[in-house]
Amino acid sequence: MNIEPTSYPDAEPESNSVVGRRSFVVGAAALGVLASSPAAFAAAKTKAKTAKISGTISLQSNNSDDKSKKAMEAVVAAFNTKKTGMVKLNTVAGELFRSQLTQYLTSSKPPEVLTWLAGKAAQNYADKGLLLDISDVWASPEMKGYSSALRGLSTDSTGKQIFLPIYYYWCGVYYRPSKFAEWGVKPPKTFEEYKTLCKTLQDKGVTPIGMGLSDTPWIASFWFDYLNLRLNGAKFHRDVLSGKKSFDSPEVKSVFNKWQEVLPYMDKDAKGLAFAEAQTKFYKGETGTYVAGSWWALGAPKDVGDDVDFFQFPIIDPKVPVAEEAPADGFFASSKGSNSAVTKAFLRYMATPAAQELYLTTGGNSSIPASPGAKAAPTPANLKGKAMLEAAADLTQFFNRDGGDELQPTADTALLKFMDKPGDVDKILTEWQAAAVNARKA
Amino acid sequence: MTAAFPSRPNRPGRPGLLGRRGIDSPPPTVAAFILIPFLLEAAVVFSPAIQGILLSFTEWRGIGTPNPVGLQNFRELASDPVFATAFKNTARWLIVFGGLSGALGLSLALFLKVERRGVAVYRSLIFMPVIFSLVVTALVWRVLYAPKGLFNTGLQAVGLDSWSQIWLAEPRTVLYALVVASLWRSAGYIMVLFLAGLKSIDPSLTEAARVDGANRWQLFRHITMPQLRGVNSVVLSVIVIDALRSFDIVYALTKGGPYNSSELLSTYMFKTAFATGRLGYASAIAVVVFLLAVTFIVLYLVRALREDAE
Repeated sequence: MNIEPTSYPDAEPESNSVVGRRSFVVGAAALGVLASSPAAFAAAKTKAKTAKISGTISLQSNNSDDKSKKAMEAVVAAFNTKKTGMVKLNTVAGELFRSQLTQYLTSSKPPEVLTWLAGKAAQNYADKGLLLDISDVWASPEMKGYSSALRGLSTDSTGKQIFLPIYYYWCGVYYRPSKFAEWGVKPPKTFEEYKTLCKTLQDKGVTPIGMGLSDTPWIASFWFDYLNLRLNGAKFHRDVLSGKKSFDSPEVKSVFNKWQEVLPYMDKDAKGLAFAEAQTKFYKGETGTYVAGSWWALGAPKDVGDDVDFFQFPIIDPKVPVAEEAPADGFFASSKGSNSAVTKAFLRYMATPAAQELYLTTGGNSSIPASPGAKAAPTPANLKGKAMLEAAADLTQFFNRDGGDELQPTADTALLKFMDKPGDVDKILTEWQAAAVNARKA
Repeated sequence: MTAAFPSRPNRPGRPGLLGRRGIDSPPPTVAAFILIPFLLEAAVVFSPAIQGILLSFTEWRGIGTPNPVGLQNFRELASDPVFATAFKNTARWLIVFGGLSGALGLSLALFLKVERRGVAVYRSLIFMPVIFSLVVTALVWRVLYAPKGLFNTGLQAVGLDSWSQIWLAEPRTVLYALVVASLWRSAGYIMVLFLAGLKSIDPSLTEAARVDGANRWQLFRHITMPQLRGVNSVVLSVIVIDALRSFDIVYALTKGGPYNSSELLSTYMFKTAFATGRLGYASAIAVVVFLLAVTFIVLYLVRALREDAE
């Protein structure tokens, strides 16, 4: 599905997927078919009784890998048959989309709707006045019962909703059950158990913790995020990412001390391995565990099939309320779009259970729909992931989604340096703090 | 130039401005041939270049109008540690990559200048990497440099395990690993330039020197090198420009990593402009690159002209 990172080497959990630029248009019949039916959306209260929703808007999508592209085509085609305006889909390769997003939003004729990420990644654009206020979409019947967490992630600093989440997913420690059986180990619950497991695997000649950082250095941020969440809790994590707390504080130092305990179990080649190479190593059983998002399982080769599972990132301090990472993806709309009626009609359609189920089924079913009325495909992974997130006391997103894109490079530098020279941790943290202050200013 | 185009008599009814000025002005066709390319160049090259320079004195994120900040960007550059690394790496790159591609290209050219059977095959083989896209080249080298790639397995095979390392992720080796990868391409190109130069040397000069009893070194030092001076300035310009714009292979292999240790000015500029979105600051970096290139080339030209004068 649309979780861009799926199995693409450059894919960051937020946005990037690689694949050549492809653009195409769905609904060539759009021309002329402008008559609209008032049916489902006639309830639009602000409209005069004669107002009909019609016109064509464009949707700029970064879902360029095969499955999520098909998923987006499917929902757009379904919306276009409703005759409440037409949507023209334009798919752009993830990396390109990311680098041009500002340009799309600031151009004189921006696309009306764009795919993007919840949290700070959307809020930053809203603060610049680039996003359409869709609070009325959030107030519509289609969005009744959406969780307050998702609402919070979709709200800007002035209290307006500016984002529509379509689905979210979980993160965890991935492993292959058949390999665990072969090695005689069980998924651990606590960090101490995890360390014991790592020791056992290492003695058997298996690299306990896999990682590929050469083209996707942000993968290391999973470790920072989770260790920080488990040791210091979600509130501290958010505070340090937003700049209220500092990266050279004793709490952050404790994260790295904890990391040192497992550092010897991490793949020594990690920094020289590309995302796909690390994935291959994992699926060949050369590495035992891998911390990643639910998209990790989509990368399984055919012969591995269902033989991939995950466990919750182990608990370090039982006193700290359990928080999980649950990144949400969806849409926002440009404030300068030409047709807000169709834009909102489309967003309201995307908020419905039917649209989200159609999207997820077409896209590979490894995420949970945002709408409370929509059902995730009842795969064991989905059920387990959903239960894990529901049981969590707090949810965060991912380093750059919580801290902003500009902060990610500072983390990549600090974490890679630390893995190279764990002894220099104090110096690294001081530099990180300085770099973070600069990045936030920029 | 104009002398080659004697003025034509004005046709009746077309008292053209150029025509009336007589013998010194080019006919309209020629003027058009000069003016149109110039205007095109001005529109697509000069004006963006000047705009870039102007942008370097502003703070601009691609949204709204650029906000003039005077020399602020350049002051920030002075205290930016990543810029310092990128600057040092670019200087290192210029010297190591430039020096080696010149030396390698010249050696190969001297070696392959003699027409023997099969020599064309060698020349073509050495030139071949030039025709590959650098991104493709990068993919090949990525495989060679991989943790379990050809280099490391080769070292292990001869018992030098301790030398093996993650070439592209080790701050000490990464820059040189990248230089080697780009040399693979540039050596062939420089070789062709030198071969062309060597071909133009009058064989009678070499012959005369031989008759006078010059040895190989003396031949090279006093006959070949002076005759290559024209080619040298071309090679130097090519090398300096190539070194300063080196981007693709670095970006494709390491993106300037790990933690900026293989950052060049070009990669840093790209990241600043398109990842961080600070177009003003990125323009300031571009201005530095431009000044570097101009300085090197002007220095060389001044020296060359002075030698000519002597």
